[in-house]
Amino acid sequence: MKKEFTPRITSFLCKWCTYTGADLAGTARLQYPTSIIPIQVMCSSRVDPVFLIKAFLSGSDGVLIGGCHPGDCHYETGNYHARRRFAIVKSVFESLGLESQRLKLSWISASEGPKFARVANEYTEEIMELGENPTRKNIFL
Amino acid sequence: MSSIVIDTSASRKVKELLRFLLDSGKIDAAVTMRKIPENNSYDLTLITDAPDLDEAVPVIPVMTVNAGQVLSSISTSGKKIAAVLKPCELRAFVELVKREQGSFENLLTISYTCGGVFPLELVKEGQIEELLPKYDKTISKGEVPINTRDTCRACEHFIPMNADITVSVSGECESGKGCVMYLNTEKAEEFTEGFGGERSEQKFDPSLFQKTLDARLAEKGKLFASITKDGPGLDGLLDLFGKCVGCHGCNSVCPICYCLLCDFESANFDYNLPYFEEYLSRRGALRLPPDTIFFHMGRLTHMSFSCVGCGMCSDVCPVGIPVAAVFKKTGEKTAALFDYVPGRDVEESIPVMVYKEEELSDIG
Amino acid sequence: MKNKKNSVLVLGAGIAGIQASLDLAEMGVEVHLVEDTPTIGGRMPQLDKTFPTNDCSMCILAPKMSECVRHPLITLHIMSSLKDISGTPGNFICSVIERAKYVDPVKCVSCGLCEEKCPVKIEDEFDVGLRKTKAISRYFLQSIPSEYTINKDHCLYLTKGVCKLCSKVCPTGAINYEDTDKEIELNVGAVILATGIDPFDPIGFGQFGYHRYKNVVTSLEFERMLSASGPFGGHVERASDGLPPKRLAFIQCVGSRDISIDRNYCSSACCMFAIKQSIIAKEHNKELEATIFYMDIRAFGKDFDKYYDKAENWYGVQFKRSKISEIKELPDGSLDLKYTYENGDIQYETFDMVVLSIGLQPRAGSRGLSEDLDIRLNRFEFCRTDTFHPLETSREGVFVCGAMSGPKDIPESVISASGAVANAVKYLELERYDPSVGSEDIKEKDVTGDRPRIGVFVCHCGINIAGVVDVKDVAEFASHLENVEHSEDVMYACSTDCLETIKQRIEEHDLNRVVVAACTPRTHEPLFRDTISEAGLNPYLFEMANIRDQCSWAHMNEPEMATGKSRDLVEMGVSKARGLVPLLRLPINIDPEALVIGGGLSGMTSALAIGDAGHDVYLIEREDVLGGNMRDIFFNFDGTDPQQFLAETIEKVENHDRIRVLPGSTIEEITGFVGNFRTAFKDSTGKREELTHGAVIVATGGNEHETEEYLYGSSSRVVTQKEFERMLHEEEFPPGKLKEVVMVQCVGSREEGRMYCSRVCCSKAVKNALELRKRKSRVNIYFAYRDIRTYGFAEEYYSELRDRGALFFRYTLENKPEVEKIRPDDPDSRIRVTVFDPVLEKDVVIDADLLVLATAIDAPEENLELAKMLKVPLNSDGLFLEAHVKLRPVDFATEGIFVCGLAHGPKDMSESIAQAKAAGSRALTFLKKKSILAEGTICEVRTDRCSGCGYCEEVCAYTAIEVDPEEGVAVVNDALCKGCGACVSTCRCGALDLRGFTNGQLFSVFDSLEIEASEGIR
Repeated sequence: MKKEFTPRITSFLCKWCTYTGADLAGTARLQYPTSIIPIQVMCSSRVDPVFLIKAFLSGSDGVLIGGCHPGDCHYETGNYHARRRFAIVKSVFESLGLESQRLKLSWISASEGPKFARVANEYTEEIMELGENPTRKNIFL
Repeated sequence: MSSIVIDTSASRKVKELLRFLLDSGKIDAAVTMRKIPENNSYDLTLITDAPDLDEAVPVIPVMTVNAGQVLSSISTSGKKIAAVLKPCELRAFVELVKREQGSFENLLTISYTCGGVFPLELVKEGQIEELLPKYDKTISKGEVPINTRDTCRACEHFIPMNADITVSVSGECESGKGCVMYLNTEKAEEFTEGFGGERSEQKFDPSLFQKTLDARLAEKGKLFASITKDGPGLDGLLDLFGKCVGCHGCNSVCPICYCLLCDFESANFDYNLPYFEEYLSRRGALRLPPDTIFFHMGRLTHMSFSCVGCGMCSDVCPVGIPVAAVFKKTGEKTAALFDYVPGRDVEESIPVMVYKEEELSDIG
Repeated sequence: MKNKKNSVLVLGAGIAGIQASLDLAEMGVEVHLVEDTPTIGGRMPQLDKTFPTNDCSMCILAPKMSECVRHPLITLHIMSSLKDISGTPGNFICSVIERAKYVDPVKCVSCGLCEEKCPVKIEDEFDVGLRKTKAISRYFLQSIPSEYTINKDHCLYLTKGVCKLCSKVCPTGAINYEDTDKEIELNVGAVILATGIDPFDPIGFGQFGYHRYKNVVTSLEFERMLSASGPFGGHVERASDGLPPKRLAFIQCVGSRDISIDRNYCSSACCMFAIKQSIIAKEHNKELEATIFYMDIRAFGKDFDKYYDKAENWYGVQFKRSKISEIKELPDGSLDLKYTYENGDIQYETFDMVVLSIGLQPRAGSRGLSEDLDIRLNRFEFCRTDTFHPLETSREGVFVCGAMSGPKDIPESVISASGAVANAVKYLELERYDPSVGSEDIKEKDVTGDRPRIGVFVCHCGINIAGVVDVKDVAEFASHLENVEHSEDVMYACSTDCLETIKQRIEEHDLNRVVVAACTPRTHEPLFRDTISEAGLNPYLFEMANIRDQCSWAHMNEPEMATGKSRDLVEMGVSKARGLVPLLRLPINIDPEALVIGGGLSGMTSALAIGDAGHDVYLIEREDVLGGNMRDIFFNFDGTDPQQFLAETIEKVENHDRIRVLPGSTIEEITGFVGNFRTAFKDSTGKREELTHGAVIVATGGNEHETEEYLYGSSSRVVTQKEFERMLHEEEFPPGKLKEVVMVQCVGSREEGRMYCSRVCCSKAVKNALELRKRKSRVNIYFAYRDIRTYGFAEEYYSELRDRGALFFRYTLENKPEVEKIRPDDPDSRIRVTVFDPVLEKDVVIDADLLVLATAIDAPEENLELAKMLKVPLNSDGLFLEAHVKLRPVDFATEGIFVCGLAHGPKDMSESIAQAKAAGSRALTFLKKKSILAEGTICEVRTDRCSGCGYCEEVCAYTAIEVDPEEGVAVVNDALCKGCGACVSTCRCGALDLRGFTNGQLFSVFDSLEIEASEGIR
């Protein structure tokens, strides 16, 4: 039985879609856990792969990238690049035997407030299952 | 495209070719391995005068530096250069050309079917000469020589890709029979025009290397399994990189790490005082130098998909981290995502520069 | 003209009205945007997705909406209507009624307490009655402006004099029951009408059982059901039992193409709308089966046929060409459809839900409006226009755009809006202006090198935040953070008095960075930036922590946790603020001239639009004469004369003192960027010349496909529609009698190699057939077609042709008409056409005197070369690819370059004119400025770190960063950079950074997160 804890999910949300969708979730008073810590970025493609690694090593229990759906990017193609980079980091995690579930990318549009809330709830649950990020209690990083 | 039958040892024939090219003025310089008579060791040398070729040993299982890396800066000099490259060096160079860090324009590339190289610690005091007979015998049987770099033993790309001239030194040519020099390109035909030796129409036959390939793949399986033997999770990660002293030797010998200054060595990742305080307030202790694991993971995302597995990094690591094996293993995964093979084709786009609209549908 | 005004009234704030307003405002025109509802946005916010890209509708619209509401030159008049226009063009007096809102928009902070307490539930208009709203409400959650309004017909106090609950709970005293309607007068130079359309209302349209059967819904209702923000959160369910439907039927042409209800026009958008909905529904539920019952699938737009194909062959949507004769409701709420195939076969099938693809009709009140404004309507009560003046009403100085003049899809509406602007500009007094002037007036405090001195303001937002989060605690916490000099909690950070407080505190504490923890930066960041700017700080020295929309509202039941999260968010904001530096928006000079490439109808129209606005235009044409494809067009449905119009246009262009025509010229090189292009060309004598200009318009046209099918080229009796039109004009027909004429449609279109519809051929063939009938009334006309795509008002002529006895045979790709010469060796032989008739289910043989082929429109091969020079993309068909198929239909992603006419895709003259004007107008939004300001948030290069590898160049969608071949390092073009940061995160050397979102700043943000281990450290 895993100990109850408050997950910290560092969430990079693109300004045009997911951040707006997250606002909409709030406006509609959809409830989700406080684990989601939003950071606004201009585009999901602004999320450098090393951000994910750094956040992970600094103890984030999960790292979420939220971007526009493929084809919808405010900057034409940014999310396609974001998707490739994300795939690479995830693959590096898998190859090193790390818990790649601690990284998540989700396409959430500006009108998908309910989806944002759902992803927030489901991902938090998934992270709860996984437990606290062991990097939190490690000085060797 | 034709081929030239080799009537002597492969290394000597290539040396003859280099001499011919220099003498005839077809090239201005040659890049090849050379023996250092003074200390019985080897180095990579840029030779412009034919007499200096005397000590050249173009085909030798030694890599003191990945030649692709050094070619990067000299290939754009405007001089005509012939370079003898191991397959992974050529692949590294292809990766660099894709990144505007070199050019094939004035370059004649000669490569050969590689049996793998010995770690640098063996490249001294004549040890190589002692090892060579057994090495040659092992590779001619299609087996994997012991004592070579672990990633060499696990390398399935030992047949050159994209070389102008491919020298077949193992598989078909045991000591009795002649090896063959295959001219793969117009450029190769052009440069070898007037060069002596029996010509034939023989085509390179990769199937002769099937046994070698099988043996290498088996080695690869063992190697990859060995680096995760401590199981997944953070412990495995610590076990792998825990010894890292943060010297960054691996990135300085890496042919793919072409950045002028590695970002991880830059002020971008300097720890400032508030950050130290912040961190210490949370954890009470901080390992110094910090960010060693971050460095390796960051470098994996930056370049693993272009890793050619040359093994330089492991060879220079002062604390014996199997850097090359980790990179090769991870690199194969990251490259496979995009059906990418580093160094396969100079026209193949680097995965992070392009995208497809329909791909990676499991993400998002 | 004297007394020209520099202002325009735009009526209707849907996508067309918004686009027109933005274009005008960007040219420096003052705009009054008058809108009937309480929000801008129109129909688009109701849509879930848009075809053919499945783009999220709100995602693409929302940025335009906020740009519109924030633009200093646009004044919004919501809940208002236009009553009268008097005066003369260039100097109109418009009388506008602003209805009472009963809520003071200055005081309202959109907290929503009033709505919560309001006891009156009413049907929600936005969600087409699928859910309830209150008598005091916002039109929809993302309404702009976001302030509340009271529906006076339902408010208890206003109707019965009791309640007043909203005024009791309103924390700012914004409710004003005494509010009254006001009449205002606006003095403007021109008026643009964009009132849009209404969906057809099928109530009383008995046969489909709408409103009688619970599970029969309209396509608009279905769209709301599909929408994630809709009444069911995107879960489609049946009204009868709440179960998700498994078998879905779409019935097309409900309220369209129907003479019996006087709607003999095609609504143009519903086919694609249904295809989109079927795809989305299937994406929601893979098990779902969708069937579309239709007459013709009218997928005539760019990339529409590919979408249609994808629906059919990839998603497995069933398409059934048949007529529905009856719908019966079964006891379980399912619906039994009786339908008839074209061969007369009758089928029955049961569906769980039926979607009526309702057509588009003129807005209620169109007749009254037309009388008030003295403009004429057509017989369907859409605004009347003609082929060559598609954006002009019958009244001078009053223009029309969007679907008000006929059914239109979104991009056509946007195009017509920009196009109408080009017309309106002629009635205005416009000077070039410099947006950077005035920005220097505010003296900015130099903070370089100063230690950060941060001020933190934590907002209560009434009880919106403070009801959940311990705001005082958060403010107290912030006061202890490094570099925070001042921290306080405020009731409403955005209220006028608080903004004053912030300015005062900056003064008192010598603050050089400000953090506001309140609602969302999306809506309020501009306001706070302006505020600190007024206090002498660079606006980029500001950071916001979103502790309302993404904290207190989302964690209403966890006050302690929400307070903790607010602390985190504030700390992250402070960390970011610490690293903020002032950013400058540097001016980029704009050359006032334009280059138009292509001298056909589109190119000439664009050139005139720009020339008439007072700018020099270079009109370059490869051929020696102007006119392009239009030289071969002789007739129009509406009786207007193409050749006369062409002659007039050429004369205007050639005599225009602003237009320099460069015939017989070829472009050799185009370099530069927005405002600063340089083009080298060779003129007809081979002399090379260079031009400098601020904008480029691509109007290179299209070619008639050269077919080898159907004996074309080997028989004098086989001609293309283009040749046939000239034949009709010159009345020179093949020798002998002309009795049997066969027309074959889709020659080269909609098949391998050209997977698109050429759009104009159906209407063109119908037009020519009618012309033929006029000349030879006894001739028999036969059509071999795949779908007849006479969209819009051309439908009427199609039915006229049918009424006049033309016969139509539908063929399929597998069963194309077969042709042979009756006398094989004779080039003048009559042609025997064999075509399968699916109605009679047998082959029909016609010995044709003339075979007319509707050949496809091809993209010229030269497009490729031009695209490379301009660094703009082509689509897979070789057509120029616009920046966004819906909302930027004439722009390229690269600024300063625009496209119109056939270069963009097949279209008719009317559409080409509208798009050409739109391209002109879009170019003018740049040319009217002496300079533009580069974004502050743009990429920068540290050249000492750059290895010139070119990753950045490759990932940039805007050609804003390139490796300089000489220096071997990347160079950012400030004018083109949009600040997305895609290049920054791809740069592994750390040579790039995004100003305002630097790596360092972002690192410090997420590194400042307090993450502590629950157990011991090891």
